[in-house]
Amino acid sequence: MVRIKLRPDLTIVLVCVALYIASAAQARSPLGGTALSLAVATISAPALAVANAAGEAWEAFWSGRRNLASTLAELGSLRQESADLRRTNQLLSAELLALRQGSRLLAAYPSLAESAVLARVIARDLPRTHTLRLDRGSHDGVRTDSPVLAEGGLVGRVDLVLDHSCRVQLLTHPGAAAAASVEGVQQEALLMGGDQPRLTGFPPYTQVPLDTPVLSTGSEGIYPPGLLLGTTLEARNDGIFTVVPVRLAVRAAEVTVVLVLAPGGRGAP
Amino acid sequence: MKLAAAFAIALLLQLGLTAGHLWWGLAACQPLLLVVVATARRFDPVGVAWCGLGAGLASDVLAERIIGPGGIAGAVAGVAVAVVVRRFEMEGPLYWIVGSLLAAACSEASWLLLTLTLGVRPDHMLLDALATVAMTGAAGLVVASGERALRAWRSPERRRRRVLRQL
Repeated sequence: MVRIKLRPDLTIVLVCVALYIASAAQARSPLGGTALSLAVATISAPALAVANAAGEAWEAFWSGRRNLASTLAELGSLRQESADLRRTNQLLSAELLALRQGSRLLAAYPSLAESAVLARVIARDLPRTHTLRLDRGSHDGVRTDSPVLAEGGLVGRVDLVLDHSCRVQLLTHPGAAAAASVEGVQQEALLMGGDQPRLTGFPPYTQVPLDTPVLSTGSEGIYPPGLLLGTTLEARNDGIFTVVPVRLAVRAAEVTVVLVLAPGGRGAP
Repeated sequence: MKLAAAFAIALLLQLGLTAGHLWWGLAACQPLLLVVVATARRFDPVGVAWCGLGAGLASDVLAERIIGPGGIAGAVAGVAVAVVVRRFEMEGPLYWIVGSLLAAACSEASWLLLTLTLGVRPDHMLLDALATVAMTGAAGLVVASGERALRAWRSPERRRRRVLRQL
């Protein structure tokens, strides 16, 4: 028996040549729908199914992640919008409150509406300096020593004026003073500032009724006469004077809009 | 046995990568050529050429086109990879990346040349061949990374570190 032993390198070359010839033959007489195609389709079906399932799972995962990202982004933008709206709402509410207060203030002192300047409180330092800062200054006609009036009564006087703002020394300032009179009491007194504003200058044992309005008299040359400063508390004798603590008519902590009058009591009601 | 298993897995992978739900670019990848590259470390050039021939024929069958040019192209690619890998003594990631790029380039060039000489209109041209080279090269990169990670995982240094940590 003859055994043909081929060298592997030659064998592969021969196989390749044979394949080339077979390819040429296939190219000349193409075959379609053979058993081989059927076999390939059968083999590839499960592989394709697995790959498609994996692809679908990945697509689902990816779209889910993308949807989650877009949802989170939308949530973030909505939160931002909500915060902006809340801030705007607060500002509008404050504006409305100030407008209402200003309108009530003008209604309370109709004779002052033309000569006075309506101003808004932009800062307040009650515990340390007992001052308010207003948004009107010398450009708006505000001068030093201009009386400042709130809806309830006198607040204080302007002690520092800038171009577009001014500072108000409150009646609670330790250095504040105003000539005042109590309804039903003939003598004039001096309202002194401090943590507990008080009326001094009454002769000893002066009878001062409780809860009686204390009005400005204008004697000190700053405040117009007849404006409410506060109400009296229980009087006491201190040395040779009767001292009357006063509950101020205006709580500076709640004031948002004030009227700045012309200085020197020229804008008296 | 390992080679047969790798061949079967690569075959299924090559089929699976053409799935409609996967990114279309993945279909250009030829995992069977990576098997050819893998044999370049074990066999001589003729042995690799036989593997390439088998892989190419399988590709032809799977692609349902003329059976033959793919096999010849695979054999050429196998010889080229084996020769280059031996000549430059390639190892590690370079072996996989250069091997896969070279195998894909040689296979595609040979296939295009053969189909043109046969007078058959090829089902893909230069741009698609470039895509095949790129995707097969990318697959080679992935395999190289995997092999490196596996080596690091199995390395004696890591084992020593683990033992020292337990002391």
